[in-house]
Amino acid sequence: MTVVSSLASHIDYLVAVSLFLTGAWILLTSGNLVKKVIGLNIMETSVFAFIVTTGMVDEGAPPLVAAGLQGPFASPLPHALVLTGIVVAVSVTSLALVLILRIKAELGSVELDEIALAPKADDSAGQSNQRGSADE
Amino acid sequence: MPELVDIRPLLAVLASLLCAGAVFTVRQSARWRAFWSLAAAGIKFALVWSMLPGALAGRVYVYQFGELLPGVAFGFRVDALGLFFALVSSTLWIVTTVYALAYMRGSHSLPRFFGFFALCISTTVGIAFAENLLTLFVFYELLTVCTYPLIMHNEDLAARRAGRKYLIYTLSGGGLILAGMIVLYFTTGTLSLAETGILEEAIGRSWLLAIFLLLIAGFGVKAALMPLHAWLPAAMVAPTPVSALLHAVAVVKAGVFGILRTIYNVFGIDLLRDLGYADWLAVLAGTVIVIASVNALRQKHIKARLAWSTISQLSYIVLAAALLTPLAALAAIIHIANQAFSKITMFFVAGAIERGTGKKRVDELAGVGRQMPWTMAAFTVASLSFMGVPLFAGFVTKWYLSLGALQAGEGIYVGVMVISGLLNASYWLPMIYLAFFRPPQTHGQDASPKPARVSPMMVVPILICAAYVILLGAGASAPAMPFSLAEAAVRFAFELKVPLE
Amino acid sequence: MSEWPHWLPLLAVLPLLGGVLTPLLFRRRPVIPCFWAVAVALVTAAVAVMLLLRLIDSGDFSYAVGGWLPQYGIELRFDQIGAFALPASLLVMLALVFSRHYVARTVDPEKISYYYALVLINLGGLNGFLVTGDLFNLFVFMEIFSVSAYALVAMARQPIAALAALKYLLLGALSSLLVLFSVGVVFAMTGTLNIEDAAVLLEGSSSMPAGLALAGLATGFAVKAALFPVHFWLPDAHAAAPAPVSAILSALVVKAGVAGLLRTLELFGGGESLYLQPLLSLMLWLGALGTLGGALMALVQRDIKLMLAYSTIANIGYIFIGLGLATTSAVGGAMVHAVNHAVMKSALFLAAGAMIHQTGLRNIDDLRGLGRRMPATAFGMAFTLVALSGVPPMAGFVGKWQIALGALEAGQPLPVAVLVLAGLVVLAFGVRMINALYFRPPARVSTVSSVEAPVSMWLPVLILAVASLALGLAGSSMLEFVAPAVQAIYGTPP
Repeated sequence: MTVVSSLASHIDYLVAVSLFLTGAWILLTSGNLVKKVIGLNIMETSVFAFIVTTGMVDEGAPPLVAAGLQGPFASPLPHALVLTGIVVAVSVTSLALVLILRIKAELGSVELDEIALAPKADDSAGQSNQRGSADE
Repeated sequence: MPELVDIRPLLAVLASLLCAGAVFTVRQSARWRAFWSLAAAGIKFALVWSMLPGALAGRVYVYQFGELLPGVAFGFRVDALGLFFALVSSTLWIVTTVYALAYMRGSHSLPRFFGFFALCISTTVGIAFAENLLTLFVFYELLTVCTYPLIMHNEDLAARRAGRKYLIYTLSGGGLILAGMIVLYFTTGTLSLAETGILEEAIGRSWLLAIFLLLIAGFGVKAALMPLHAWLPAAMVAPTPVSALLHAVAVVKAGVFGILRTIYNVFGIDLLRDLGYADWLAVLAGTVIVIASVNALRQKHIKARLAWSTISQLSYIVLAAALLTPLAALAAIIHIANQAFSKITMFFVAGAIERGTGKKRVDELAGVGRQMPWTMAAFTVASLSFMGVPLFAGFVTKWYLSLGALQAGEGIYVGVMVISGLLNASYWLPMIYLAFFRPPQTHGQDASPKPARVSPMMVVPILICAAYVILLGAGASAPAMPFSLAEAAVRFAFELKVPLE
Repeated sequence: MSEWPHWLPLLAVLPLLGGVLTPLLFRRRPVIPCFWAVAVALVTAAVAVMLLLRLIDSGDFSYAVGGWLPQYGIELRFDQIGAFALPASLLVMLALVFSRHYVARTVDPEKISYYYALVLINLGGLNGFLVTGDLFNLFVFMEIFSVSAYALVAMARQPIAALAALKYLLLGALSSLLVLFSVGVVFAMTGTLNIEDAAVLLEGSSSMPAGLALAGLATGFAVKAALFPVHFWLPDAHAAAPAPVSAILSALVVKAGVAGLLRTLELFGGGESLYLQPLLSLMLWLGALGTLGGALMALVQRDIKLMLAYSTIANIGYIFIGLGLATTSAVGGAMVHAVNHAVMKSALFLAAGAMIHQTGLRNIDDLRGLGRRMPATAFGMAFTLVALSGVPPMAGFVGKWQIALGALEAGQPLPVAVLVLAGLVVLAFGVRMINALYFRPPARVSTVSSVEAPVSMWLPVLILAVASLALGLAGSSMLEFVAPAVQAIYGTPP
């Protein structure tokens, strides 16, 4: 009983963590670069959702000064945090997508398997005996 | 012991440092390079000798500047033992520099060679004058760094192999010393070398044993204490002045000096007597003396034979220190000088023979005595010293070591001395015999050997060192000789106020 | 002067503003943005000096942004960790000086002003990260320096750069989200975002959310700091990035991860949280593995930049060993080593960059014989390699000594052996490089005909090399300086 009730009281954590892990799984295991970015976005959304719920007050009103609205108000601070976070997420996603475009143009594919096998790719990960110049 | 603040220890180290810088910058001018190299050695010599009267009178010169680590100062303290080592090094450095200037003529990368040559003397004197283990360690590692380019001088495969072996051994030794220092600092809170022992029984046997093993093994690498000796024969590929430096003056003596400091200043005589670790060290040293001599017998290259002889002789010092008696300690310290002068003579001779006749092997020595009489005479003097013939330096060592062994109740080491003397005879005498009493091998051309043309700049240092060997042997008890300085060091270590007998 | 705290935001604002203005003012000009960026970094460093003097004089001080007091507003706090802003600004300045000639070949001419912009933005984010006392602000600045770092890695023209940058981005974003998530958890538990207040409220808390938050923060910052085993992004990023960017990455960005971890420990350190000890032990063991693994991997590399990258991983391992031991000496040593390593690694990356720039080659065997052709650069590299291996009295020694001492104090002799062993391995690859530079004849035509790099490239190298000696000699003072911070982070010293 206590396990179920403690689980229920922490439902917001559970949902957030499971969404987060789902996104992380997609990010880490997907072979397609665009899908990795999607996974990243899922993770970001889970975190934002979680943060917003921390400010929720049962039976609370939206944090606005308007006619017909009175306390208790939901906390507006998490909303501000999430807005900032969304901006950050957008910039990261756009950078990622630009890089993917460049990878597609230069290496020919956005699938990791194909990039690893493509003759043009000189993957410098690990201990390669690379003689390539750093400057072209 | 009255401590005087004096800037001379710092100057001694700095002077040759600056001169080394000058050598690096003058680049192509051989004359200026020679000038600055000699200046480095000469100034060092003057500064160190100027402190001798004070040290004999019992004064200790200190100079500190700042802390390198919290609680551990970085500074110099010139006591009798340190001054002794510095005296030997700086005296020999002058002759080695003169010899090197002649020997290395025509070689490549001379600015690099002589620059690091001068730097090595700085670091050696830094080791001698170190006030605490950390300062000693700093200069000890810097010595490794500065000798490396000298060993690598020829830049061929053999040099690289030797250099790699050298570094692996010496840097590992350095790592052991570092570990020992950390444990020492942790258990005692100090690294000072100014006391007659900073450790106490109360710290605990396991810590004490750990410190002893780490420090002795760490210093033992440079002291060529078997089985940590393998770098020494390999380093023979370096040019002869470098071998002379390494094997007589700087590197090996630094290792042995470190062992002496560990025994006398870190542990102290009384503690070691109680712990009994030194007995094992003595056994090891005694074994090394014999085994290394036997190995020397088997060598066919002159320099290889000299290398193994060095390994054997260094263990004399370790043995003497490990016996923990005043007379043996005297032998240990005195042998630093005796072995240095004798061995360097031999190396100089080997180099002169190589330059003059091109011969490098023992069996090629026939008739060299007629071609280079003075040189071989010096060699004979040095060998007599190693064999322990009275009136030569080596005899003084053997005498005091034997007395010290008896003082410690370990008569067996007297036997070791005798055996070693016989072994030495067995590998030096044939060389002398071949050189003087056998006609040179002719290759069908004319039968009369031409005297070999060797630069006087090489022969004079040889003669000076040989003369010193005789001086150390015959005139040991004269005042103002290094002997009295060694006595002063021993007196301090054993906290004696009276003469040693 | 009581106005000094007002200068605190300048540490972050100046470079950020300067960075944003750069492409607007200097579009398509190749050289002027460099001078501008160097000037901005210099002014930032000057501000940092003044703040540092105030710190030494009268201790920590804080600044409420906009006049809003901490409960509702963002608080900036300048303490010993914030003092890292000074070496950061100076290192970035030297990297920028170096960049003047370097980027001409590695970056597209149209993008050069963006390069300088990104470097300045990176510095701004870093400085902001170091001086903030608010958790969310911490996250924002972290993202600023991270995203600019991702973009900088991609600036090189090689095809591999984009892929390496993307990998870095994905792993970095994952870690940032872990941090953000944990910040959310902390906020949910305590209702405040101010680090000091939250630390008081969290004191001794052993609830599951606290553990989750601690784990999230620690993991997130560990990824940023390239701790084994989450260090994978570092070698790829370094191989692809232009040399000054590698210097900034290895020297500064990973240290920000360390700083983040210090803040985390500050947050959770008071009292006896159940989760703290396992975390510290984990840090100790991972640090030890990272040290040995990194050092050994560095030994087998033939590419000079990869060798230096793995060396960074090894040194981060030292720092984590120190942090995990949690004794005064160890943590102080770790913090001092963070600064010293930043200086040394920058010197090495810049020197490597100069060599690559002049010869076009990156393999150690190809760089043989450069000792004579590029004397200043080679000397700087050799000198710093000796410093890096921990030969006293140079900079690599103090930190390691203190950490080893701390290990004995904590009753753990094993890290001492790890440190000594790793030091020998570092010496090994250092010697290999020195051998290649000085004791081997050149193997390739381009090395035979190469000349010394321009002054703007070798001068920073030499300055940093000399600094490696100076910092080593000043080790004792540095340890004294960070001591109050150690106390604050770990509560009372054990």
